[in-house]
Amino acid sequence: MSDLILELKDLSHSYDGKEISLNNTSLAVDKAERVSILGPSGSGKSTLLRLIAGLEKPYSGTIAIQGKIVSSANHMVAPEKRNVGLVVQEKALFPHLTVAKNIGFGIRKNQKKTEVISDLLSLFKIEHLSNKYPHEVSGGEQQRTALARSMAPDPELLMLDEPFSALDKELKEKLYTELNQIFKEREQTIILVTHDLDEAEVLSDKKIHLKNT
Amino acid sequence: MNIRNLSLWEVLPFTLLIIFCAPIFIVLSSLFGEYSDNWIHLYNYVLVDYVSSTFFLIFGVSVLVFFIGTITAWIVTNYDFYGKSFFEWSLILPLSIPPYILAYTFTGLFDPFGDANNLMRSIFNLGSDVSIFPNVRNIYGAIIVFSFTLYPYVYLVSRSAFLNQSKSMKESARLLGLSEVGVFFRLGLPIIRPAAIGGLMLVIMETLSDFGAVDHFAIQTFTTGIFRTWQGMYDLQTAMQLASLLLLVVGLFFILERNSRNKAAFTSNDSSFRPDNETKLSNMKSFWAFLICFIPLFIGFILPITELIYWAFESESSFINKKFIQTSFNSISLATISGLVTAFLALIINFSIRFKPSTIIKRLSSLLSIGYAVPGLILAVGMVQLLIYVDNNFLDSTSIVLTGSIFGLLLAYVIKTYALANSSIESGYERITSYMDDSSKLLGSTGWGMLARVHLPLLKTSFLTATLLVMSEVVKELPATLILRPFNFETLAVSTYIYAAEERMFQAASPAIAIVLIGLIPIFFLSKMIRSNKSG
Repeated sequence: MSDLILELKDLSHSYDGKEISLNNTSLAVDKAERVSILGPSGSGKSTLLRLIAGLEKPYSGTIAIQGKIVSSANHMVAPEKRNVGLVVQEKALFPHLTVAKNIGFGIRKNQKKTEVISDLLSLFKIEHLSNKYPHEVSGGEQQRTALARSMAPDPELLMLDEPFSALDKELKEKLYTELNQIFKEREQTIILVTHDLDEAEVLSDKKIHLKNT
Repeated sequence: MNIRNLSLWEVLPFTLLIIFCAPIFIVLSSLFGEYSDNWIHLYNYVLVDYVSSTFFLIFGVSVLVFFIGTITAWIVTNYDFYGKSFFEWSLILPLSIPPYILAYTFTGLFDPFGDANNLMRSIFNLGSDVSIFPNVRNIYGAIIVFSFTLYPYVYLVSRSAFLNQSKSMKESARLLGLSEVGVFFRLGLPIIRPAAIGGLMLVIMETLSDFGAVDHFAIQTFTTGIFRTWQGMYDLQTAMQLASLLLLVVGLFFILERNSRNKAAFTSNDSSFRPDNETKLSNMKSFWAFLICFIPLFIGFILPITELIYWAFESESSFINKKFIQTSFNSISLATISGLVTAFLALIINFSIRFKPSTIIKRLSSLLSIGYAVPGLILAVGMVQLLIYVDNNFLDSTSIVLTGSIFGLLLAYVIKTYALANSSIESGYERITSYMDDSSKLLGSTGWGMLARVHLPLLKTSFLTATLLVMSEVVKELPATLILRPFNFETLAVSTYIYAAEERMFQAASPAIAIVLIGLIPIFFLSKMIRSNKSG
């Protein structure tokens, strides 16, 4: 089996059928590789992640995950069947569920759900928050929860869309160190979208620059 | 607080509260009075039926309303399909149809010789002993009638709560393995549950309050029981005892509604609404979405309106006759007076909260809304007792002055609709900053001057909305009007009820259509708000 996790071929996208938001983009990401995508606002960084996640449909080109085509102009695999994770700046935690239940949300019942939740709680150092609701914890803790939740179903590919931009510098640096360790230990394949060069430097081993279309 | 130093702004809320609560306390006080043989008879033979059919009714209505309200709200909020912008506002139209009018049109359509069955017989050339549609004069028919007229309460709150759910949250759920249907059941619904339950409590209170529809379907519920005990057995004391039991049940749902409103805070997510939230549906899915939204609108609005118009054309007497003009005049005058008085009282109370800020006055004022939860029939029972007491003790004891007068009826309307006027004036006041009050005071306008020169001009729209909301509620109100109206005094609702009770459906059409048309006025403003403001 090839080590290639993700392959984009000549991918183009337009939100309204007129203005191009992404033009003929190709990219290949191997297993355990950590790629960061940099570029100015409007260059299509977030759109690229949304296309990979299956939340947008490409205008042309293909997306393959583990060798299987999941998106093309006339074929779409539903987001829930792609085995990818996405963490966004807004965190998007479910307000009616506790931290532990948020983390366990995507884990199927027949798996060792409790064990996975408690492992992730301790990995992200938020065991003490397991019974708290999202609005009862700090911004940094919310972001840790969102990261843990996206890793809980063990996705092949984890995508991070400027997840730390709302956090203060000190907190960010602390998180970088911890995350680096976690990602390396778990051999997690990562695509990070950021406009912060330092962040890209610390969290990835390959940098790609997108230009405005 | 020194009593001598109290101003009008402080005295008024206390006085109103005493008047508003008096009929309710009179009814409840009957629980401590004597229990007659009639009560023992009711207790031994029919009370179990009243309780079981009332609870079965509210259970059925709750389940159906919850699904109709939330599913239609979810579809119009999250998907782009054929007719979406039309359904967004038209789904609230059934609010203009009182349940009793839908009940009348239902029997007119689906009785064995109703119009729908006759139509089917003529199309399929069937014999007169064949009925295509099942009998609706039963509790299942009542469940359908209440559900399809009251679901907009749940639709409105659910739609507003769904609009506040962030797109990224729903996308995260998809990426964590949920299908589109899964997102609705596991994420959409649980988050809006407190808000939807709040809407549902209002539906339950409306169902418990109804008299016209259950009476028409001959279902034994608390309200029909109270009416029969009073008007059939002439036993007011037992009727009040029965009313007290219903009041306690309503009180329970009132408290639940208040609690769910407090909890509803978490339905507002911190992420803002994005207009690009909608997923475009394919042709087939678009058809299903259209159908799901069309069915409630069809049953709750199009069907009864069509039947009423058909009756109006079939009626031998002209649509606008002398009696119709008289009853319309009665209804509109009563509605206008109650609308203006209630809106004015709500304005004064909200002004006193503003002018003399005090926690006690604030709490007392919120209690004034209690009348909304009290069924019209119970209010009428209490009001009759109150008026008799006042007549006997303070006015001419040899004759009746207030009992059976327009005054009692108006007072009942004011108590029943105060909450509607208050919510409109209250939200209007939220938009007037306290800096304006300070400037007004510095420029010499205080008290009445500030109210007339600053607040009232700024609250014109809220005042008008409050008046219209009260008016449409008054025109629809049936049980309290039926009991408290002066002798031989008919309103549109009473006239519709009497014609329907005599099975003179064609004649019932004109007053019923007039009720619906008046009820459409506030709905028109509400739908305009939905169309102009996405977050409704």
